[in-house]
Amino acid sequence: MTTAGISRAPHVAADSPTRVDPPQVGYRHLWRVTLVRLLLTYLAPLLLLSVVVHLQYRHLAAESTRRHLMSVADNQARTVDLFLRERVVNLVNLVDDPRIGGRPTEATTAELLARLQRDSSTFVDLGFFDADGTMTSYAGPFPTLLGRDYSGEGWFVRLLAAEDRFVVTDLYLGFRQAPHFTIAVRGAKADGPAMVRATVDPERFSRYITGLEQSRDVRSVLVNTAGSYQTVDLPPALSALDAPLVPPRDPRLAAGELETRIGTIAYASCWLDLTDWALIVVWTGSDDVTLFGGYNVSLLAASAAVILAVFSTIVIRARHVVRQQKEQDTVRRELSGQLHHAARLASVGELAAGVAHEINNPLAVIAEETGLLQDLMDPELGQSLEEAELREHLDAIQSAVFRARDITQKLLSFVRRGEIQLARQDLNELVDEVIGLLEREMTVSNIEVERCFAESMPPVLCDRVQIEQVLVNLVTNAVDAMPEGGRLTLATSADGDSVSVAVADTGIGIAPEHMERIFMPFHTTKEVGRGTGLGLSVSYGIVRGYGGRILVESAIGVGSTFTVVLPLEPVGDGPTERGVAA
Amino acid sequence: MSDRIKLLIVDDEVRFLDAIARRLEMRDFDVTTATNGPDALEAAKKARFDLALLDLKMPGMNGREVLEALKREHRFLEVVILTGHGSLDSAVECTRLGAFGYLPKPYEFDRLLEVLRDAYEHRLRTKFAHDEERMNQLTDLAMGSSPLGLLRRMRELDDGEK
Repeated sequence: MTTAGISRAPHVAADSPTRVDPPQVGYRHLWRVTLVRLLLTYLAPLLLLSVVVHLQYRHLAAESTRRHLMSVADNQARTVDLFLRERVVNLVNLVDDPRIGGRPTEATTAELLARLQRDSSTFVDLGFFDADGTMTSYAGPFPTLLGRDYSGEGWFVRLLAAEDRFVVTDLYLGFRQAPHFTIAVRGAKADGPAMVRATVDPERFSRYITGLEQSRDVRSVLVNTAGSYQTVDLPPALSALDAPLVPPRDPRLAAGELETRIGTIAYASCWLDLTDWALIVVWTGSDDVTLFGGYNVSLLAASAAVILAVFSTIVIRARHVVRQQKEQDTVRRELSGQLHHAARLASVGELAAGVAHEINNPLAVIAEETGLLQDLMDPELGQSLEEAELREHLDAIQSAVFRARDITQKLLSFVRRGEIQLARQDLNELVDEVIGLLEREMTVSNIEVERCFAESMPPVLCDRVQIEQVLVNLVTNAVDAMPEGGRLTLATSADGDSVSVAVADTGIGIAPEHMERIFMPFHTTKEVGRGTGLGLSVSYGIVRGYGGRILVESAIGVGSTFTVVLPLEPVGDGPTERGVAA
Repeated sequence: MSDRIKLLIVDDEVRFLDAIARRLEMRDFDVTTATNGPDALEAAKKARFDLALLDLKMPGMNGREVLEALKREHRFLEVVILTGHGSLDSAVECTRLGAFGYLPKPYEFDRLLEVLRDAYEHRLRTKFAHDEERMNQLTDLAMGSSPLGLLRRMRELDDGEK
């Protein structure tokens, strides 16, 4: 492929940045992509935050409950310790009372019991014992106990040995066969050691414990080291346990969770000082505050509501984005169509100006020939007309008429809006036709036309009119670049799966700063009114529609070469509707 | 004895040239034709032309260059531009360069005669610019006669000076 001797000037395979490509993604795809992107950007972090807050909240709430329970356990343990200590003191006072001997009378004992019961209603009965363990005096609801031998009883044995002269027993049945506690105190009397014991009603004791509960959300029980509960009325959590809960001695005050059949329950425990009992405080509250393993409904509901709101906002936004994209595409396509239409109108004007001369000349011939015939028939002018001459003039008129018609047809063919008609074209033929159309224009402008056609050109599948438009545009530009005349070289060649046509001129060339913009719409270096600058952009659009390229080489003062490269068959989306040459 | 008005017509369209030359000859013009610029200049050197009809777009030397050359070498030669090109801009520019006027192709024949008449009158006025007597005579010429009649009478007037 010759380039008409143009030197290798800095050149650009110019790419039109304003080309509007049809959307590569379908709208469904865009919708999905936008949705996913927005969800990941906004919803995911929100969910994450929500989960984190939730977990934190649960942790804090659980921690808060724990501490509360521990505080309650501690307080209640102290109180129970105090209570027991007071009961012991009650008995100690009794035993140490010098007015009371080792074997008081029934009446005295009854009176003493009454006194005790004034101190605390939990006392059930009162008994005095001698050193052998026999009950010598009794007041209370079980008079049959009087005279019984308690020397074998655990508490008695411990009492005799106890350093602190008192004993508090666990809950047991004893001789009376009813659950009770015993508080026993050892005293020293004139006539030997005196043992006094009082029993405590476990129910009343439990009620006392219950009375300690500061809120209705806890239940307290006492348990000994063997796991026997010392209180009646277990809370459901503890009765649902398979094995009784005995917390470890160390730490004294502790908290934990129970896995029960009815769920996970929080509790705190505190070992008493006076006895080997642990006070267990169990959480029985409702789920306003989070429990271990429970779920906060209102927090979840709020989170769900927020997430739902964000999600729907995202969905609406995504739909909006897609709709906007659709509208933009429609607008863009409309504008593109309008642009093509404007280009068509403008180029009709340009082409029309260019070929007006072509039509006016035959018309002038017709005018003169017919005028001449009229003159020849005018008696005033005294001329004669022979048949042979008449025929000659009429023939001249005929050929002028058809000359004009050919040109208008060519002009119209560029204007006609129509469907693309793809057919196999020989590029050499197309170039020839274009040269023929503009030949007169070129001779008049002193332009020498040189053809460098490849010998055999494979046929190209394309629309004849469209490609001719592109060639007319390039040739017209070349002619315009050579106002003083020059040489126009048209060279064709084939290369594998594409063909190319090079339009080379020896004109003024294109400045490097214009190079990048020559394919842009409305870029023109012609003076006002002469060029609209639409031709190259439309040509570029047409060539790109076929999957081809337009290449430019140019040097100022030397000339330019425009090369159209076309694939043998359209590649990509294919050409759209016919436009007009520029 | 008055000669006929000498007219030079330059146009590259041969058929047109022959027809217009013939018609004007019938109306007592002495017509010389040329199909390109160099031939036209050559002919203008050989004979003194009164008027010229010049086509703008021609191969080789274009109409503008011919106009400039003609006006440079023949001061009193009035040139009328014929333009089939439809480009009024260049025609107007030529008027600036000294052409008397322009006519678009195709034109009405009568209009052509009118323009030729006006051009010839302009030629005389330019020529007689310093000759008051002739100027008066020119003004006295009866208006309203046909362009041809007027042309003939102006020719007689012109005869006095070459």
